[in-house]
Amino acid sequence: MLTAALFLPLFWAFLTVRNLYPVTAWNVMMAGGDLDRGRSYCILRGETISGETIDVAAIELTNALYSRNWTMVNATIDNQAFKLKSLHPQNEAMLRQYGSVENLPPGARIPDLLQAWGEIYNQREPESSPRRLKAVRLDMYRWESGRYADYDKFVESWRKEL
Amino acid sequence: MRFVVHGIFLFDAVFTSYSALGSLPPTILRPTGVMKLLPWSFYDSLQTHGGMLTLKTLMVVSLLLSTAGFLTFISTKASLLLVLFYQGLLRSFGHFNHDEMIAIYFMVVLTFAPCGDAFSIDNRLGRTKQQRPAFAYAYPILLMQLLLAWVYFSSALIKIRIAGWKYLSPDNLPALAIFHSLDNLHDTAFRGAFWLPHVREYLPYFVGLILIWEILFPLAVLFRRLRWVILGIGFVFHVSTLFLMNIFFPHQLLMYVVFINWDRRRKPITPIVVRR
Repeated sequence: MLTAALFLPLFWAFLTVRNLYPVTAWNVMMAGGDLDRGRSYCILRGETISGETIDVAAIELTNALYSRNWTMVNATIDNQAFKLKSLHPQNEAMLRQYGSVENLPPGARIPDLLQAWGEIYNQREPESSPRRLKAVRLDMYRWESGRYADYDKFVESWRKEL
Repeated sequence: MRFVVHGIFLFDAVFTSYSALGSLPPTILRPTGVMKLLPWSFYDSLQTHGGMLTLKTLMVVSLLLSTAGFLTFISTKASLLLVLFYQGLLRSFGHFNHDEMIAIYFMVVLTFAPCGDAFSIDNRLGRTKQQRPAFAYAYPILLMQLLLAWVYFSSALIKIRIAGWKYLSPDNLPALAIFHSLDNLHDTAFRGAFWLPHVREYLPYFVGLILIWEILFPLAVLFRRLRWVILGIGFVFHVSTLFLMNIFFPHQLLMYVVFINWDRRRKPITPIVVRR
């Protein structure tokens, strides 16, 4: 019974190549890399009250999201939380304001995420520390050269004053 | 196995900042799979300091009991439900990371197995039943080994089905590895990926060997001698993905312990004790 209960859904997930939590298809890196396909990526930075710009490691802020911080950011930039069948009431209200998902700015909820990260960072710094942040920034770059060079073409930036 | 699997999730629960997780806005959540069944009002209450403190307390207590093997029949089930929920929450923020999934499947097997009959507080207190037939203990172990073998075997078949021969392209691995090494949102920032283009002509052979290794992984269940070679390659493979791609599957790697025959390891100790 247990064997069937475990393996039947696993076979279904395998055949359809679909993850329906907790039913898992092990489709890790199934597509492989493609040099000709451009890729965007982000660097999380903080502006300290002493005027310095520092790189901030997301894993040190939200270690629960081990291995998932980068996809959380990508999904938020892509406004994926606005493309669900059942929307969060606040997202529903925002969507009504903009009319449709297409009208939303990219990363409509990124400021909220940066605010949360900035607050987590500052909570861990003493009140008098010059390393406390006055703003958090997410800088997006793109690697689209089709060769192993020019990895950092600047695309855009989100900034949140704390 | 119960001690290892539940212990790993206990370790995670203790050393993870749930309060930081609770600071993230619920508006960026994208509930996945069964997590869609829960209402938004539930997530709103969970994504608070109090909500996360409650979840962490419940998880630590339950996992502590199930790891120690106290009230095993109930605590293993409670731990499974809590871990299932928590891991679903994490996947609702990020992506469907596969690292912990095999450990969750192991928890399901253990929940329905007499996993508190030996190394447990229940056993010390004499709460466990008389010894059951060997099959009752051996079959769950075999089932977990088969599940782990399925992970690699099905993964290779999916890659072949989806990408086909293109998967053996010389640029597959370097392009993927470099992409995962450019941001600072991954957990580590190793730069080994940038060395890969220098050896790109050899990489199709390396990728092909890994695919063959994944397909042959089920042999580890059948042949004990081959087992350690297959698991050894697995260890090297997972460690190399950390340095080359900044991707690591520690939970999956730790599940290799299911191939250790604990009874056999215990036997040599007995004669030494007798001689003394």
